[in-house]
Amino acid sequence: MDFADISAFFPILLKGAVITVQITIGSLLLSTVLGLILALMKLSPVKAFAVTAGTIVNVIRGLPIIVQLFYIYFVIPELGIQLSAFQAGVIGLGIAYSAYQAENFRAGIEAIDAGQIEAAKSIGMKSRLIMRRVVLPQAFRITLPPYGNTSVMILKDSSLASTITVAEMTRAGQLIAASTFQNTTVYTMLALMYLALSLPLIFGVNRLERYFGKGVKGAGK
Amino acid sequence: MITIDNIHKSFGEVEVLKGVSLEVKAGEVVCLIGPSGSGKSTVLRCINGLESYDQGEISINSRRVDTHSKDINDLRTRVGMVFQRFNLFPHRSVVENVMEGPVFVKHEPRAQARQRAIELLEKVGLGDKVEAYPSQLSGGQQQRVAIARALAMRPDAILFDEPTSALDPELVGDVLTVMRDLAAEGMTMVVVTHEMSFAKEVADRVCFLYGGKIVEQGNAQSLLSAPQHERTQDFLRRVLNH
Ligand SMILES: Nc1ncnc2c1ncn2[C@@H]1O[C@H](COP(=O)(O)OP(=O)(O)O)[C@@H](O)[C@H]1O
Ligand SMILES: [Mg+2]
Repeated sequence: MDFADISAFFPILLKGAVITVQITIGSLLLSTVLGLILALMKLSPVKAFAVTAGTIVNVIRGLPIIVQLFYIYFVIPELGIQLSAFQAGVIGLGIAYSAYQAENFRAGIEAIDAGQIEAAKSIGMKSRLIMRRVVLPQAFRITLPPYGNTSVMILKDSSLASTITVAEMTRAGQLIAASTFQNTTVYTMLALMYLALSLPLIFGVNRLERYFGKGVKGAGK
Repeated sequence: MITIDNIHKSFGEVEVLKGVSLEVKAGEVVCLIGPSGSGKSTVLRCINGLESYDQGEISINSRRVDTHSKDINDLRTRVGMVFQRFNLFPHRSVVENVMEGPVFVKHEPRAQARQRAIELLEKVGLGDKVEAYPSQLSGGQQQRVAIARALAMRPDAILFDEPTSALDPELVGDVLTVMRDLAAEGMTMVVVTHEMSFAKEVADRVCFLYGGKIVEQGNAQSLLSAPQHERTQDFLRRVLNH
């Protein structure tokens, strides 16, 4: 490893890192929205919703993420919908992770004591208001630590987008390595840069777990 | 005010209410007593539509209680409920718990709702706990917040389901004092309780429930001192001696 190589590779990897972060945030947001919808459908008293959501979750969980990415990148355009590699990556990871998010959210919502809902009903609250004011705020606190863990996993799995030509950090590394043969330098730098992104997130999650694990004031009990 | 006319209720195959009838007039305090599993909670929960019933009819001020009607939320604003386990919202402060219904159900202005919430908290002896969180309060304090939360809706009646059963003995008194005051102010109350001295002193009427039926009811003094039915005698002997 020499310093000239490192300073030559770093800006390229950094550009990739920006895209890695963008994919991570994009698919985190998408998976959050889809996961919440799936969780609410799964908990719905309407059987058809619950069954549909359950089926979707199982199908998504039963497929390798990489296959889902290939499917969205190569098959969807044949149906006439044009997607850039970046868009396909965000959508693919967002959908793949929506199933895990849905399970996290469902567990969080189900952890709310039935007495909470009865108390809310007994002051005349309607079910949507109960969701918004009583269930979701408490479920949020319960769900936050697993949500943080999911974010870490999405960050790492965003590297799968390299397989559909998204120029994120892993792909940037592969390209440099292929043209310079400096495998040790490139992949060591790549690993360190992933750690630079993921470790702060992991520490943050650990803090959240400690914070919400104890009977903190205002936290659900 | 509350009319229960021959209601039946089953959970699956098991019939837990087998024809319960009860009339509660405005300003009356009625205590429901009876052994565990006799259906006391189920009766209360049917009154404000937390449970549905299979036969018979319940009406509040001549409006039929139907769990599945749109009307039910409005009815619930008129009939408060206090639970054995308090069920305060743990993520909201004491004053926010009390304001929740007025602000989000009745759409009262926040400042006005807060002012009244503080008055109610002072009334139940918790004027110094306004900004505390439920987890920082004792059970007895939490239950008094729950009573303030129910009162904040200006209900016509309040249902109490064993409000002191989850409390340490030394905390029971404060809650009963608040309930006694409410009764004296003319609040209509249906109270499931094992506190026989409270029932004797405060209740206008006591109903003894056994196996999903009201076996005996009457004036508090006479029912508790001179029960007619063998089941009632048995039950009172066990409760009073223990
Ligand atoms: N949600 C429910 N599902 C099935 N059985 C229930 C349910 N709620 C109450 N029961 C049964 O109904 C009977 C009456 O219960 P309850 O009204 O809670 O009695 P009490 O309050 O007098 O102790 C009991 O046998 C109880 O097990
Ligand atoms: Mg009960």
